[in-house]
Amino acid sequence: MSIRWTRIAPQIALTPALAVTLVAFIGSIFWTIYLSFTRSRRVPDYAIDWSEWGRQYARLAQDAGWSTALWNLITLGVGSGLAIVFGFVLAAMIDREKRGESFFRTVFLYPLAVSLIVTGVAWRWILNPTMGLEATLHRIGFENVDFNWLAQGDTAMYAIILASIWQSSGFYMALMIAGLKSINSEIWSAARLDGVSLWRLYIEIIIPMMKFTFLTCAILLSLGVIKAYDIVLAMTNGGPGQSTWVPAYFVINALSQKQNLGYASAAAVMMLLITLAVFLPLVLLTAWQNRRRAAQ
Amino acid sequence: MTDLTVTEAAAGATALKRRRPAARTRRRHRGLNGRSLAVLVFLTMCALFFCVPLYVVLTTSLKTMEEIRQGQIFALPDTWTLEAWRFAWNEACSGITCEGLKVGFWNSVRILVPSLILSISLAMVTGYALALWEVKWAGTFLFLLFLCAFVPLQIIMFPLIAITRSMGVYGTILGVAVVHAVMSMPVLTLIFRNYYKDIPAEIMNAAIMDSGSFWRIFGEIILPMSGNILIVVLILQITNVWNDYLIGVTFGGYNTQPMTVNLANMVTVSTGTASYNVDMAAALLTAIPPLVVYFLVGKFFVAGITAGAIKG
Amino acid sequence: MPSVHFEHIVKAYGAVTVLDDLNLSVDDGDFLVLLGPSGCGKTTLLNMLAGLTDVTDGRIMIGERDVTDLDPKDRGLAMVFQSYALYPTKTVRGNLKFGLSAAKLPREEVRRRVEWAAQVLQIEPLMDRRPSQLSGGQRQRVAIGRALVKHADVLLFDEPLSNLDAKLRTEMRLEIKRLHDELNPTVVYVTHDQIEAMTMATKIAVMNGGVIQQFGTPDEIYETPANLFVASFIGAPAMNLKAARVTKRDGRVAGVFDGGQTIALDDYRFRATPEEGRPIVVGMRPEHFAPPGAPLDAAAATLDLPLQHTERTGSDATGYLKFDDGLLALRVEPGHAARLRAGETVRVGFPRGKANLFDAASGERL
Repeated sequence: MSIRWTRIAPQIALTPALAVTLVAFIGSIFWTIYLSFTRSRRVPDYAIDWSEWGRQYARLAQDAGWSTALWNLITLGVGSGLAIVFGFVLAAMIDREKRGESFFRTVFLYPLAVSLIVTGVAWRWILNPTMGLEATLHRIGFENVDFNWLAQGDTAMYAIILASIWQSSGFYMALMIAGLKSINSEIWSAARLDGVSLWRLYIEIIIPMMKFTFLTCAILLSLGVIKAYDIVLAMTNGGPGQSTWVPAYFVINALSQKQNLGYASAAAVMMLLITLAVFLPLVLLTAWQNRRRAAQ
Repeated sequence: MTDLTVTEAAAGATALKRRRPAARTRRRHRGLNGRSLAVLVFLTMCALFFCVPLYVVLTTSLKTMEEIRQGQIFALPDTWTLEAWRFAWNEACSGITCEGLKVGFWNSVRILVPSLILSISLAMVTGYALALWEVKWAGTFLFLLFLCAFVPLQIIMFPLIAITRSMGVYGTILGVAVVHAVMSMPVLTLIFRNYYKDIPAEIMNAAIMDSGSFWRIFGEIILPMSGNILIVVLILQITNVWNDYLIGVTFGGYNTQPMTVNLANMVTVSTGTASYNVDMAAALLTAIPPLVVYFLVGKFFVAGITAGAIKG
Repeated sequence: MPSVHFEHIVKAYGAVTVLDDLNLSVDDGDFLVLLGPSGCGKTTLLNMLAGLTDVTDGRIMIGERDVTDLDPKDRGLAMVFQSYALYPTKTVRGNLKFGLSAAKLPREEVRRRVEWAAQVLQIEPLMDRRPSQLSGGQRQRVAIGRALVKHADVLLFDEPLSNLDAKLRTEMRLEIKRLHDELNPTVVYVTHDQIEAMTMATKIAVMNGGVIQQFGTPDEIYETPANLFVASFIGAPAMNLKAARVTKRDGRVAGVFDGGQTIALDDYRFRATPEEGRPIVVGMRPEHFAPPGAPLDAAAATLDLPLQHTERTGSDATGYLKFDDGLLALRVEPGHAARLRAGETVRVGFPRGKANLFDAASGERL
């Protein structure tokens, strides 16, 4: 009986990663799901009251903080979706106007290297009502402008969106530039000779050709929005009141402030479901693209 | 028919361009005066928008508090001073301790080094095994990794706390580093795997016939071919770990919290009057290491973030 | 030098069976060429011998050893790859040494072998360069050197010359042949190039669709192809294959082509005499035709056909004559070809005993 090391050695090498995946990810996910059915408070309590197994979820459904968090998630998703549009505009301009390409790329991308905590601190300072942007604008004559977004519940989300766009536009620009570079350069010459206007060229030809880049960006953005925590913490710490809570913030809050493990787990499971709802199209998209690449 | 004309016309156009460089230069000039100028102006304005926060933070950090209270946020400092920087580094209070950001800085460095070693070595070997060796369950495992790459920390936070606590590393530097390595393992593995997948199968076959040793082939053949991807991943991981807040605040203890946590504590838990110049200096101190990396090796940074984003 | 045996080999990918109950034996010191079009299973077979592809069923023996379940490095083989597969980060010397130091040979032995291979292949001046600094031919030599230093009993080649230009290919063909004559290892060589097969092999296995169509010496394969596939695959220009029917007159067997011309077949060694009227395919090698103008008394068939065009390939020339709906190719002297005019009717003869006959239905040799 011979042992084929070329078959066994790689499997041994994969064991640590496999263990991490099974324990830290898969196992932990099920652990959290289990906890969401319990009444665990500060410490885990593994008894499930089957007559009322969904009580944490029922509470969640009635929690005003949770519904705020969900609404804010949608607002943040749609609002920071502008970063994709902005990123595309920047990419298209940089791609056609080669002058200063590397300078502009460097400038537009640097926020990505900066921690979201730093980003939050910087923008909160700019939006400071007495010493920031608003004060300056008031002094030079714009008496009516109101940039005190962070202090008001109905505008605080916009401040977070603004900071997110500032931070992430460069990232989408980089993806879009990669997408634009993969388009055959002869299309531009052909369009110019046909006398097609630039607008029509972009809307009728370029954007449809880049639909997968857009879709990828949208999915990545959604997954990023679900994880959004640092920026909220640094900009508003959830406030004023609960007006800028998002699910990621809600879970941490339930865990560390409310010390309610079962409740936090139920909210985390909801986050997981939202993640999966976004993840599924990504899987389909990837499979589709692979098939298309294989067919070519 | 149209297609044909278009292609021919395009070919003609290229030929024409090549023959008459003068005509091309003239067209470029006309472009600069018209649309190009508008584009450049727009791009410059956007660049200003991107630079404003950096400018504001930098100038504020160099002002005195009296000057800041005048509310001239965009003005250059009247008296330039590094006092705020010194204070932020040495004396600023974060929570109950008042030893400045340098504590967090060194904690971040001490977290960074083991987490880089752990995460990159684990991801590299796993990616190598998945890409270049025949493992029956590789496809399933890859799918799992792809899925795990997108799992937010919140979903597995409590179990990870429980696990690290039972391992005795909760609240320690090593604990934070280990959690970083775990959380980044799926993405980094996918990046390495996609890179190694492009190594020609025949080179692997030759190596398997020559040696057949998994580790020997890795060390002598594959590792020397990994220079570029190693730099890309290194930069990606340095910025990720340095800029992280959530893992640090959750798994770090009182004295083992990274710089971002120190910074957040410093600016959010303000006792007495807020010193904005100190806050801004602290923010800049925190941002400088990844920014230096970015401005030094930006090309690899871009490759890293795009590779980390679209993989599967 | 051991022999190599494939016994009842099956290879299936899921539901698709690419090789089914394949048997093949190579004697020690033989130079076996696996020849066939792409996708015929020849590379799969080679990779299974190397251990790079799993065998679904059956077994592979090298000498008396069953190697079916051994790791590649334990099989006593060395292989030269199509793309050379040199390790890009190692020098030529490093490439040659890697397999030896992996086998934990003493340092002195490694040095001796590497020097020997460098000398045999005349790559001594290149030893400290990296693969990217070498030309295609030099890389090829290094790849062969890397296989030679292992002193393997069996050398495997996977289309090693297909990335070289025509001149280098001829040169390396002779080089490989010389190495085989000098060192006499057992060689299994995969190619789709019949010239390589004919010039280097001591045995050829012609493969198509996962089945060995014929196994034999180059001469056997060329002179007596076992079926229509082998007949059409081997030879350039290809053998003329023309449909005909068997007739018997006065006890003598002949073939009548669809256009009415006849060819005498009583010199053919039939395995079993075919019945009257049986549809057959007559195969005639272009170079067997008597040159135009030669005496045709003893010919099996005499044909008067209009010339379509002639083609010169340097040392040779081929004439194409209209025959029924198709063309008939025949070798002509280049000097003669120049005098022939398109449209002119040429009388050519095909000698006795040279035809190859195949059953039209099964394609098998009669």
